[in-house]
Parts: sequence; C-alpha cells; structure tokens
Amino acid sequence: MNGSSEKPTKQGVYYGWYIVAALFFASFLAIGSRQGFGVFVKTWEEDWGVSTAAISLAAAIGWLANGFSQPLVGYLTDRYGGRPVLIVSLAVMASATIGVAAVSNVFGLIVLYGFVISFASGGISPATTGVVIARWFDRKRGTAMSILIAGGSVGGLIVVPFLSYVLVEYGWRTAWVIVGALALGLGIPLLLLVVRSKPGDMGLHIDGEEPVESENGDVKVAVKPVGPKFVEQWKDALGSKPIWQLSFAYFVCGITTASISVHFVRWAISEDITTGTAALAFGVLSAINAGGVLVVGMLSDRWQRKNLLGAVYLVRGLAFISLIVVPGPQAIWAFAVIGGMSWLATVPLTASLTADVYGVRNLGTLFGLANMSHQLGGAGAVMLFGWAFTRWGSYDVPFAIGALTLLAAGIVSLSIREKRDSVRYSPVPADDVVPTGAAVGAGSGSQGGS
Amino acid sequence: MARLLLPLAHHSEPIDPDLWEWLSDKIDHVLGIDAGAMVLLLGAVIVLFPVAVMVLVWRRRA
Repeated sequence: MNGSSEKPTKQGVYYGWYIVAALFFASFLAIGSRQGFGVFVKTWEEDWGVSTAAISLAAAIGWLANGFSQPLVGYLTDRYGGRPVLIVSLAVMASATIGVAAVSNVFGLIVLYGFVISFASGGISPATTGVVIARWFDRKRGTAMSILIAGGSVGGLIVVPFLSYVLVEYGWRTAWVIVGALALGLGIPLLLLVVRSKPGDMGLHIDGEEPVESENGDVKVAVKPVGPKFVEQWKDALGSKPIWQLSFAYFVCGITTASISVHFVRWAISEDITTGTAALAFGVLSAINAGGVLVVGMLSDRWQRKNLLGAVYLVRGLAFISLIVVPGPQAIWAFAVIGGMSWLATVPLTASLTADVYGVRNLGTLFGLANMSHQLGGAGAVMLFGWAFTRWGSYDVPFAIGALTLLAAGIVSLSIREKRDSVRYSPVPADDVVPTGAAVGAGSGSQGGS
Repeated sequence: MARLLLPLAHHSEPIDPDLWEWLSDKIDHVLGIDAGAMVLLLGAVIVLFPVAVMVLVWRRRA
C-alpha cells in the first residue's frame, strides 16, 4: 500500500495525531509484552525445572540485543522511512512471540526472546517511532514524543496484568499466542492503515500547515528553516559536541535507571523494607512518571529543551541522594515521588533535541546510537553496583556514584548551546515560500524523506 | 543475572516476578473479579483502542 497516491486530507484534526495514536499502540504492545516476560518466570522454572538465573540469561541477552539493534533499525528508518521498518519489526516480533508458545526449554527462549523478539522490538523503539514523529511534528514535537513514550508506560500497566490473568486462566502458551495474535491482527493492520513515514506521503505538510495563496496567485507553503548543524551524513554529526553531550547524558540515564531496576529490591531488603512496600512504591513511581513525561514534553515545546533535560537529571540526582541520606522507609517514598518525575522524561527530550540540532535526515541512526549507549551504560552499571554491594555491604557508595554521574549529566546537558545550535533558535535563513508540491523543504521536520 | 528481572521498568525491562505476584494478589483482593472476567475487561481495553483509531481514520478518508 502506497500512501503517495492518496488524496490530501486537510480538514479536522491534524493527521499527525493519528500517527501518534497508532505508534502509541505499537509501543504499548511492544513494551508491554516485553515487560510481561517477568510474569512467566516462575511458571517456566516449574515447567522446565530450571533456575531463575538460566531464564534471566534470556532477558539479559535480550537487553543487549535490543540496545545493539537500535543504531541499525535507526539507520534503516533514515534510509527507507519509518513505516516499513515498523511493520516488518512488529511482524517479526509478533511471529516470534507466537513461536515462544512452542518452546520447551531455555535454549529456545534465548533464541526467540533473547535474540529475535528483543532485536525486532528495537524497530518499535524511539529510534524508529521518534523519527516518524519528528517528521510529522515540529512545533509540538516534544508533546507528540511524550505521548508516544507514555504509550510504553501505559502498556506496562495494562498488558502485564492482562498476560498475568491469561496465564492463570489459560496457561502461559496461550498468553504468548494471544499477544502475538494481537500484534498481527491489530497492530499490523493499524500501522498499514494509519502510519506514513512523512507528511509528504499523504500530500500533507509538517504540523498540518496549509498552503497559502500569494499575491500573484501561486499556491505556496512556508519553508521550514534548516539548523546550523544539520548534517547530510550521520558521521558528520560525530565531529560536533552536542551528540556527545546528549549521548553522555543518556549513558548516565542508562546507568541510573538500570541500576535501580536491578538493585531496588535488594536495597529495599537491606533496609528492612518489605517487598509489598517496594511494590507500592513502584506503583506510585509508575503513575508519576506517566504524568511527568507528558508535562515535561509539553513544557519542552515552550522552553529550551536542554534546560529541562538538565533539570530532569538533577532531580533524579536528588532522588539518588535521598536514598543515602533519608532513612529507608521514608527514602523509598521520596525516591518514588522525586524519581518518578524524571524517570521517562529524558527520552522525548533527548530525541527532540537531537532532531532540533541535527535535523531528521539522520535522526534514527543518531538517536539509535544514543540508545545503544543507554543500554550499554545500564548493563555496566548493573554489574558495578552488584560488585560494590558485595564489596561494602551497602548501596551508599554506588548510590553516591549514581548521584555524581547524574550531577555530571545535568551539567553537561545544561552546557549544550541550544540557542546557538538548534533550529528552533538559530534558523538558517531560507526562502520564505516554495511552490506547493515541491519538496517540502529542507527544514527540520521535512528533511530527509526516504 | 536473576536481578535483571526487576521492577522499575524504564524502557522495556521485564517486570520483577516477585513484585508482580504481590501486586496481582492485591489487585485480586481489591477488585474481587475472577481471572476470566479480568481477561475480558483488559482484553476489551486493548482491542478497542486500535479499532477506534482505525474507524476514525476510515471515516476521515471516506
């Protein structure tokens, strides 16, 4: 199905918001089903007679496979557009998900979940979905990105319980078949019907801008300006500072989120906090982060994104400090509230800022590289925090390291010269208008169609 | 390695099985709805959203 033959639709809600809704659901399914993996661990242990560690190997491999897949799928998105990458990725992920139902040992789980599903789910990550959004939105890019990212969070809140109840009622094999069938039967048709890689594929313009009639009767549309650091090749960006500043900060994001993800319960136990309290705190954190990411996304369309990004890292640093200085039972709630505000907010800010500085032509590859640094930082931190706890019998030192790295990430983010480097503040002069039907321009949102 | 399956999902890390067991017990206790009804309820939420989006897009293009 080729969207280029379709008639432009100009009335009503901007079509980009339907794209956001479709990608929200794709993220909802992809992230929700990956988070649901944990629901099945005990069942597999009993069915297959294996240890948690053996099953965890599939999850660990999956974590790294997902990280390494992102620059590749990002590159493919830059090259061929987001639509085909999303559809193929979801189809592969859905097929492999159904395949898990036939698995009878850990080896099969490692192959299908660790490698195939996790790699394919990289194609439904912000490295692809974020690129599509960046091509459809300019003025409300932060808002649209944050809604998209919230989709993954909501997916965890709905798909995980759904899988759990299917497991109880019909068994684990049925649960995996149902999730795969949902992706094939609903996700793929939704993407096919709704998603287009860029507005030009539907004869539309970024942000839904309408053509205007000039004095001499020509119908024209305003050209989006280019930014001072827009690049033709992704490698060109590596010679400038912002990509390293953003990637370093995102690396720290990976360090601090993964380490908490993995060591939170062990820390709670070491502080004589019950698993139940830890679970409740998790619920509070989840609710706050879904709201927090939306608020930050909307604010980022009005304020400098780097200031918000810096603030988010510094706030998360405060949450880490609270784990050291506040007594355990209070610390867990302080962390849930303070940390919740900053937990997901880095994703739309980093993706949007990367697009603002370098344009969208190579956004998939560049943000994919940042995502990979995030995952590698997380993998390293998990091991380092574990070693530190074994060495000192306390998390004070690793949490202090976490707070220091967050302070550094905050300072580095604040040092990004957004007003100099971003197209939002330093647009390179371009002709005001071009005839309708020409390339939509070289602007931030229209650059680099496939 | 076991601790890779833990609670605070950031991007797409699996949820911790112990925490999930506790949470699902609490949900059952509070809602008092059996598993079959919850499957239908949550399944309806999951199915209705994409169907609604597709219907809106179809109507827009019609």
